[in-house]
Amino acid sequence: MSAHENEEKMILDVKDLHASVEGSPILNGMNLSLKPGEVHAIMGPNGSGKSTFANVLAGREDYTVEKGSVRYRDLDLLDLDPEERACEGIFLAFQYPVSIPGISNAYFLRSALNAVRRYKEEPEVDAVDFLQLVRSKMELVGMDEKLLQRSVNDGFSGGEKKRNEILQMAVLDPKLAILDETDSGLDIDALRIVAEGVNALRGGDRSFIVVTHYQRLLDYIVPDHVHVLSEGQIVRSGDKTLAHELEREGYSWLESGHAAEKSQEAS
Amino acid sequence: MSTGTVDHWNPNLEEQCSGLHAACESLEARRKHGLNQFLEAGFPGRKDEEWRYTPLRSVAEGEYSSKLSVEGQLPGDDELATSSDIRLVLINGRFREDLSDLTALPDTVKVVGLSRSLETSADSVVTDLNRWIPLVDHPFQNIGDALLEDGLVITAEGNVDARIHIVHGQDGSESAGSSHVSGLIRLSGGAQLEVLEEFRSRGKSLANIRWGMEIGSGCEFRRQRIVRPGCDVLYHGTRVELGEKAVFRDLIAGSGARLVRNEIHAILAGPGGHVDLLGGYVSNGDEIVDHHTTIEHAVADCTSREIYRGVLGGDSRGAFTGMIHVHQDAQRTDAEQSNDAILLSRSAEMNTRPRLEIYADDVKCTHGATVGELDDDSIFYLRSRGVSLEEARRMLVRAFTAEVFEELENEALKEQFIEQLQEAMPTAVDLRQ
Ligand SMILES: Nc1ncnc2c1ncn2[C@@H]1O[C@H](COP(=O)(O)OP(=O)(O)OP(=O)(O)O)[C@@H](O)[C@H]1O
Ligand SMILES: [Mg+2]
Repeated sequence: MSAHENEEKMILDVKDLHASVEGSPILNGMNLSLKPGEVHAIMGPNGSGKSTFANVLAGREDYTVEKGSVRYRDLDLLDLDPEERACEGIFLAFQYPVSIPGISNAYFLRSALNAVRRYKEEPEVDAVDFLQLVRSKMELVGMDEKLLQRSVNDGFSGGEKKRNEILQMAVLDPKLAILDETDSGLDIDALRIVAEGVNALRGGDRSFIVVTHYQRLLDYIVPDHVHVLSEGQIVRSGDKTLAHELEREGYSWLESGHAAEKSQEAS
Repeated sequence: MSTGTVDHWNPNLEEQCSGLHAACESLEARRKHGLNQFLEAGFPGRKDEEWRYTPLRSVAEGEYSSKLSVEGQLPGDDELATSSDIRLVLINGRFREDLSDLTALPDTVKVVGLSRSLETSADSVVTDLNRWIPLVDHPFQNIGDALLEDGLVITAEGNVDARIHIVHGQDGSESAGSSHVSGLIRLSGGAQLEVLEEFRSRGKSLANIRWGMEIGSGCEFRRQRIVRPGCDVLYHGTRVELGEKAVFRDLIAGSGARLVRNEIHAILAGPGGHVDLLGGYVSNGDEIVDHHTTIEHAVADCTSREIYRGVLGGDSRGAFTGMIHVHQDAQRTDAEQSNDAILLSRSAEMNTRPRLEIYADDVKCTHGATVGELDDDSIFYLRSRGVSLEEARRMLVRAFTAEVFEELENEALKEQFIEQLQEAMPTAVDLRQ
């Protein structure tokens, strides 16, 4: 009964998730549960599968889910198209946002916002209301208004792209935001501004999965839990102090740990 | 050469030609020339390099060889957001003054129906036609000459900036056939003129339209053409000569026509001239869109730019042939050319033939061609923001053709052009079939 209650409260519940790309396995049994309002950090060496996990949650079709389940609120997430997931409140801030020459940022954002609003059977916003909304959000992430009329991410600097992701998040108002290395490429001030933007959106039921390599970001966005991903599995979880420990000690302990695990499997 | 295929055309053409009113000898001579050329050459076959990607078999087979009825109605009623209040309507190749609105025409711009001016001043009109639309051996031009009868003569002179909307209506709903329009546009004394040329069609029909243009020194002529869905066969030929510092800006957009052949021959004959040829289209089914351009840099210090972008689905085919001919004296020529295509299906096809003939040495000529698919990463990015697959694909068509439309000043019209192309995108369901 109490276990059931617990499940009820989860916003995301990932069980034994296996995913592969073109036949090679990348996620090898991910388990992760988030309660509404929680911030979870995922760290781990390059190539361990962090972005893959984030993209699988967002519904990228290049990855094949081989096994496992993902419940999101009361939905079977893996059954939904990417756009349905977005409309249901999942937002992925991309590690490498694509640029789309020929579509203005404003047009893109308004199309996205109205798509979500139509899905929720809310009235669409007109150009005037939209501009008002987007202006206030741009202030939040310290973004130059000129970037609204430019093509989506086209010729944006690394930092501008990341801010643009956070702007989209602020406009779309998701329930679960997944930030994939949003801190990389940001200078110290930008990092602070983006983190403040995220913190401003924190609270209530909104949950975050923050993928990062640097504990520095987690000084600003203090996580409730920190997980270490290695070879497509979460191999360690802890509280925010784990991030500090990783910062000091790196991932060398994984090698031996995994070697041990593997040899156990072999025997 | 194309034996058999002209069986229907030849007798029909001879009969129609001899039935025309002979206003003067030079007109008669021009018609005879066209007729004889056609009787001799007929329609080109697939082996003719100039027509390799535009099979004319279905046109040659004769259904089109009669003239469309004079009684035709203007098809379609959704109006374009044109910023012009001068409206010229042609139906089945006849200039319909009764349906046109010339009240806002400034004194400095003159519009006369070709058939009317052949009545009043045949000799001088034919002289102008011979000058600005010289005889060439070309199947549609030959037919156009044999049946030379109606069209438009537009002149703009001096300090004027006017906008004209021309609607070509083709009504083949009663019975199939063709229409033939010859037009002259002449600008002088620094005139500025903008023409929106719209093609609407119903039923089976061949629209055979050609223009001869003179853009005098310091004049600017802007033309937008929109091929509305439902057109059958459209041949559209333009020959344009530019004087010193004259500018020609052309844009063609379209979707949903069975066969479009757009030919432009632009001659930069005075220093400082500029030509812009832009095109954007979406094709489906077994449609064919063929842009065939020649830009002649005859003198020094001229610039030209060509951008054609096509999105092709189904079994449709696109072709682009772009000749840039830089004469020996045309130093400091700057010519840019690009033709890009997105193929939505395996059986869609794009053929690009850049042709550069450069006889001057101080010349900047660039040409590029790309063929690709809609970018999956961009589609996923859009979908991850809540935009449906269908809308994401439509947005990428907008993105792809953006460069073609970006300089169109009339925002409402621009939106209509882009929307027409977006509407023509095959749905994701169609694609899976
Ligand atoms: N589309 C793909 N095709 C082939 N291999 C892929 C693809 N996507 C991911 N991989 C591989 O899967 C593994 C995990 O990649 P992923 O991007 O998830 O790592 P990451 O933990 O995000 O790394 P980083 O910290 O460098 O961002 C890598 O070995 C990567 O090369
Ligand atoms: Mg990554």
